[in-house]
Amino acid sequence: MTITPAIATRALSKTYKDVRALDNVNLELLPNRMYGLLGRNGAGKTTLMSILTGQNFADSGEAEIFGHNPFEHDATLSRICFIRESQKYPDDFRAHQAFKAAALFFENWNEELAQDLIAAFNLPVKRRIKKLSRGQLSAVGVIIGMASRAEVTFFDEPYLGLDAVARQIFYDRLVEDFAEYPRTIVLSSHLIDEVANLLEHVIVIDQGRIVVDDDAEELRGSAVTVTGSAERVEEFISGYPVIHRDALGSLASTSIRARLSSSERDKALALGLELSPVSLQQLVVRSTLSRVETLVPAGEQEARK
Amino acid sequence: MNRIIKVARMQLINKWTFIGIPLLILVASFAFTLAIWLLVRRAGGDGVLYGGGAQAPMWYFLALGIQALTLTFPFSMAMSVSRRTFYLGTLGLFALCALALSVFYYLMGLVEVATGGWWVDGQFFALQWIADNNWFVQIMFYFVLMVLLFMVGFLIATIYMRWRSTGMLVFFIGLGLVLLGIIALFTFGNFWPTFWSWALSWTAAGVTLWGAVAAVAMAGSSYLTLRRATA
Repeated sequence: MTITPAIATRALSKTYKDVRALDNVNLELLPNRMYGLLGRNGAGKTTLMSILTGQNFADSGEAEIFGHNPFEHDATLSRICFIRESQKYPDDFRAHQAFKAAALFFENWNEELAQDLIAAFNLPVKRRIKKLSRGQLSAVGVIIGMASRAEVTFFDEPYLGLDAVARQIFYDRLVEDFAEYPRTIVLSSHLIDEVANLLEHVIVIDQGRIVVDDDAEELRGSAVTVTGSAERVEEFISGYPVIHRDALGSLASTSIRARLSSSERDKALALGLELSPVSLQQLVVRSTLSRVETLVPAGEQEARK
Repeated sequence: MNRIIKVARMQLINKWTFIGIPLLILVASFAFTLAIWLLVRRAGGDGVLYGGGAQAPMWYFLALGIQALTLTFPFSMAMSVSRRTFYLGTLGLFALCALALSVFYYLMGLVEVATGGWWVDGQFFALQWIADNNWFVQIMFYFVLMVLLFMVGFLIATIYMRWRSTGMLVFFIGLGLVLLGIIALFTFGNFWPTFWSWALSWTAAGVTLWGAVAAVAMAGSSYLTLRRATA
């Protein structure tokens, strides 16, 4: 059985002057899943999404949505929704006019959902968009992205300026609506812990390279934090790659990259050690940090300290 | 096709921009001209009175060409509209508006002649040089002029969208150099008298024809520029 991937890229590369924004990116995203596109600011997230939606151009490689290059391809474009974080709106537009335009172009547009979200975000729809606060501006983008119900929807740092309550509303509604109307969602974010529970699959991009492309469950199971007396912890973790170490007096809490068998878990228990999962954020931070460390020669690191 | 019409409808969501403002400019400039004519007649002025106010809305189209692109193009990208569809929808809508306004100018010109220049022997819509032609040339003259101004704004804005400030600098410095070169050539070659007598020999039909050629050339180059532009 072969499913046409919702999103596929092959050897995608893009350079801005002296910055390598995308470096040989190969991805395959399946339909109707929730993906997280994680990475630091400037890692290449927006560039990747712009190319995937035909808004920007790659220097080399291919990008396909449902098997078609989206560039100037209206049939494919009409299945996509991508509101960028710094989205521009016509100067004189009010929020309700932007929604009216979106209702024209997105065939699956759901007015009820849009109205519901407007109320939930408390968005002043009659105000000119250029007069909205950063959070309200993000809300406009979030509402278009959600109510469009496009088969492939990109959210580009959708929470910027939104307060904690509004962010929670966004996450809750997204999960609710996704369950009812499955579609391929790419959630770009650098607030990893906040979105971790929503994600089914995690893609981490760093300096234009894909450093993680894994199922979220797999990823969570791929590491473990061992806590207990420092001596016992050291004994237990010997041989495993260490992600992170914390120590407090004689107590140690060390995260290791390991998939423990049940006998190993029993052994830990017998040693009086506690095992706990590693947060996605920790994993992502570690996997990007380790790249930074390998990129900077050891001597230089010493000098920096 | 459907999406092209939707682009036009999107541009019209704020009806004020495409329809309201040009009409307001036209009505205001006409009212002002008429008021001035009445004052002139009261003061005992003789002869035919000319008013250039009919071109006022046309200059707004220059700004509209820029605005339709710089602000609506990035938004149309977010609406998942291809550049080609955006281009066709926007230009198509503008062409329709310009055509409607041109016909309106022509009809107002007929009224102007019928009322003896609004009862004060003034010429606002039916300037002699244009009104001497048949209805087709008259309408086309206005139409081409409006489209031409819109295309100038549109082309400059596409160059900006594609190459940003660098594009603007290169374009305007280049344009300045070309103009300077032409002026220098005419001055040293003493071509100015020939040029002016040639320029004055132009008819409205000739201006319309060459204006149309220029507008089509600009439309083509702005499309090619837009194809690789980014939001």
